Amino acid sequence: MLMQLGLTRGLIYQAAGTVLGMVVTMVWRLLAGMDLWDQEVVFVVGGLVGGFAFMWGVGAIDDWLEWCRGKATPLVHGPPRDKPAWTRYFSTDYNHKVIGIQYSVTSLLMLMIGGSFALIFRAELAQADLQFLGMGMYNKLIGLHGWAVIAAILLGVGGMANYLVPLMIGAEDMAFPRLNAFAFWINIPGGLLLLASAFLGGFDAGWTAYPPLSTQGAVGYQFLFLAIYFVGLSSILGSLNLLVTILTMRPKGMDLFRIPIFCWAVLATSLIQLTATQAIGTAFLMGLSERALGMGFFDPEGGGNPILFQHIFWFYSHPAVYVFVLPGLGIISELLPVFSRKPLFGYRWIALSSLAIALVGFLVWGHHMFTSGYSPYLRVPFMVATLLVAVPTGVKFFSWVATMWGGRLRFPTPMLFTLGAISVFLLGGLTGPILATVASDLYLHDTYFVVGHFHATLFGGFVFPFCAAIYFWFPKITGRMYNEALGKLHFYIMTPAFWLMSIGQMTVGTMGMRRRIVDYDPTLGGGLVEARHLETTIAAFLIGLSILIMIYNLVTSAEIGVRAPANPWRSRSPEWQIPSPVPEHSYAAPLQVVGEPYDYGLEEEYVVMDESQAGHAQAH
Amino acid sequence: MRSNYRRHFLYAGILVVVFTLVIQWILDLSLPLPDIQGSAQSAAIDNLIGQHVWLIAGAGALVLVIMGYSIVAFRARPGEEDEEGDYFHGHSGLEIAWTVIPLIVVTIYGVIGVQVLAQVTAPQDNEMTVEVEGLQWSWRFAYPEHGEFQTVEMVVPVNQPLLLSMSAVDVLHSFWVVEWRVKQDLVPGITTELRVTPTEEGEFQLRCAELCGLRHAYMLADVRVVSEDEFDAWIEEQLE
Ligand code: HEM
Ligand SMILES: [Cu+2]
Ligand SMILES: [Cu+2]
Repeated sequence: MLMQLGLTRGLIYQAAGTVLGMVVTMVWRLLAGMDLWDQEVVFVVGGLVGGFAFMWGVGAIDDWLEWCRGKATPLVHGPPRDKPAWTRYFSTDYNHKVIGIQYSVTSLLMLMIGGSFALIFRAELAQADLQFLGMGMYNKLIGLHGWAVIAAILLGVGGMANYLVPLMIGAEDMAFPRLNAFAFWINIPGGLLLLASAFLGGFDAGWTAYPPLSTQGAVGYQFLFLAIYFVGLSSILGSLNLLVTILTMRPKGMDLFRIPIFCWAVLATSLIQLTATQAIGTAFLMGLSERALGMGFFDPEGGGNPILFQHIFWFYSHPAVYVFVLPGLGIISELLPVFSRKPLFGYRWIALSSLAIALVGFLVWGHHMFTSGYSPYLRVPFMVATLLVAVPTGVKFFSWVATMWGGRLRFPTPMLFTLGAISVFLLGGLTGPILATVASDLYLHDTYFVVGHFHATLFGGFVFPFCAAIYFWFPKITGRMYNEALGKLHFYIMTPAFWLMSIGQMTVGTMGMRRRIVDYDPTLGGGLVEARHLETTIAAFLIGLSILIMIYNLVTSAEIGVRAPANPWRSRSPEWQIPSPVPEHSYAAPLQVVGEPYDYGLEEEYVVMDESQAGHAQAH
Repeated sequence: MRSNYRRHFLYAGILVVVFTLVIQWILDLSLPLPDIQGSAQSAAIDNLIGQHVWLIAGAGALVLVIMGYSIVAFRARPGEEDEEGDYFHGHSGLEIAWTVIPLIVVTIYGVIGVQVLAQVTAPQDNEMTVEVEGLQWSWRFAYPEHGEFQTVEMVVPVNQPLLLSMSAVDVLHSFWVVEWRVKQDLVPGITTELRVTPTEEGEFQLRCAELCGLRHAYMLADVRVVSEDEFDAWIEEQLE
């Protein structure tokens, strides 16, 4: 049975491929008259071959290989015929709903793994002095935590986009279903390489991996670079697919300003992913080849420049932070009208503000480098551009509260998380400008204040909205309701705990505590720094506990939850007009747009199914 | 339409003012800066941070109050489970206002930001150069204008504008004395500069602020700011 799963085969292929790649490299080195063993080259080739072997084993390139042989393959939709239905979730499957769930579940898994790393070093930080973690271990855990949760966020973004976008625009599937499966599965070897790097000495320069530290460190860096290469490939291919889907597969009458607002967020996100991800690929490829082949890009010893890396790295990594949050902000805009029973205020402004954030976001990377030693003349333009991002971000906030104003608000769990998201993202957004005016950043840069800032943006922009989305669409996915009491318990633990943690981080930051240190001076802040750290650690563990409550809720409710009606939230969105769980081919007939997406309070519908063409969808 | 919006606006407006003050007060407690303003740059930076705190308080209160007010005033009460909200879906005037006003606000903060930056980085006439070298995981200092010697603690005269000329031997490091507020990275291969004028005598700690490997947390050095006479005496001692 186990061998019938694509995943098992993929894992075996990856292990075999890695060994094969390593052996071939060593033999080739021997034949070329070099030393048999050069860990840099041998592990890079092994990791690379192993990654692609996984894709072969899992079956994600089967159809393409057939095409290369000149054979056409039908696009098979539906559960496998000769195996139990659940196996499709562990094998290559082309249905976007399956892929969306694969993404989301993997995301939750990665989030818990990455979160556990954080809990380990949070426990260490609860008191000053060294407790149980060594210095080296600490430095490796922070980087691993960073990249594990970033991978989790990218997976979560992919999960929401893949599941929801085709449903929301009434498409039967994504534009390129095979590419979609490939883009999901490539994350698995990527994630495994990332975690495996820990066994090769890890990477000890934090998630930013600045050289020369990163060009001098253990061989674990090579697995990090490869891992991000794979995960980045997923971003590029996935975003291409989403862009084509949104731009070409909308039904009659659904012009761009009538799509559900989440699709606008995905549009803006995909534009960033399609064009910025190459930069981190480049930065890490250069780091990889500097280490493996001795090319002198960054280390001055070899004639390189360390600041160059920072430019390329942040040219991706700043826009990337909007990849992490724009879909979540789209979820907020999507859910508020449903639970306020009122139209989304200023649809066009919200839609265009996503684009504006995405575009301006390309011009601000230098705000991470105010102290880096680049030309001082660069500081002011980057400051101005960064401050400008606050404007479209503000538009979103004002439109959200105007959406609530005058509504008839109700507060089931998804709405609670939406409100929590707004309040937390507000904290994150508002602590941005203080980091943008250079002089104040000369103090706050590389302190815990920055740690507080970005945890607030990422929790408010991703974690809270992701939870809201999970609870909201759970009945659509499973056909059952989640447990409302447990959902609320999750919310009422996580939200105050998060506020405590985030403010605590900012407090120790302004007291003068640097980030990325295993031990701190307990006399900072007049001796109060340790108490704040203890609170922060307790809060972090409470957040972890609340996530476990959610997982328990989801797992048990999928089995024993009460059956959900087709549209428990009385939403106008297309996916709620069809049965739950969504049938294999989603819509029985093509959609026709007859109204506006968020006209709560009006009688007329947003979409109707064109019954005269019923059955058309299945004809493919 | 249930709502008498004029009354709601009045209440919410009052609450925004009240909460701006409350949040400002909370933030002042939650974001404590070090008591000692140890350099000529410190006060300007602390003021700038203080001005930002007002912005955070004001904008935060605006959003939080309107949200909180809606949660209370516009919640579906028992018996209203099937009711819909008031029907309106936009207002161009409002949208333009909350685009233009933030634009003006960030422009003002941009102008202030430029001024403070110019102030804290301005070259002075009588600067004294100290050469700072960072290496895994310690610091070295040299005083080229006073002779050829290197030290592991940094001693400087009070109220003397300093030009720190910095280089890193191995990997990135960052020079940061909390009481002086400003920081600057040290980069292998190039020389970076930091200007700072210590204004408080005393013993402080230099801490590396850029992750630089195993013992980064402990990459510290003592910094002593002394009177001019003491400094001269110290130089004499070093030259022996
Ligand atoms: C109002 C908008 C924002 C402004 C003005 C702003 C500004 C800044 C600045 C200047 C920094 C550099 C701080 C430093 O290292 O000294 C920074 C760091 C950061 N910001 Fe923001 N930010 C904003 C919103 C966001 C959002 C929405 C996100 C996330 C989606 C985000 C994520 C981050 C991250 C991850 C870092 C830290 C990276 C690192 O050093 O490891 N920021 N922000
Ligand atoms: Cu940024
Ligand atoms: Cu350091």
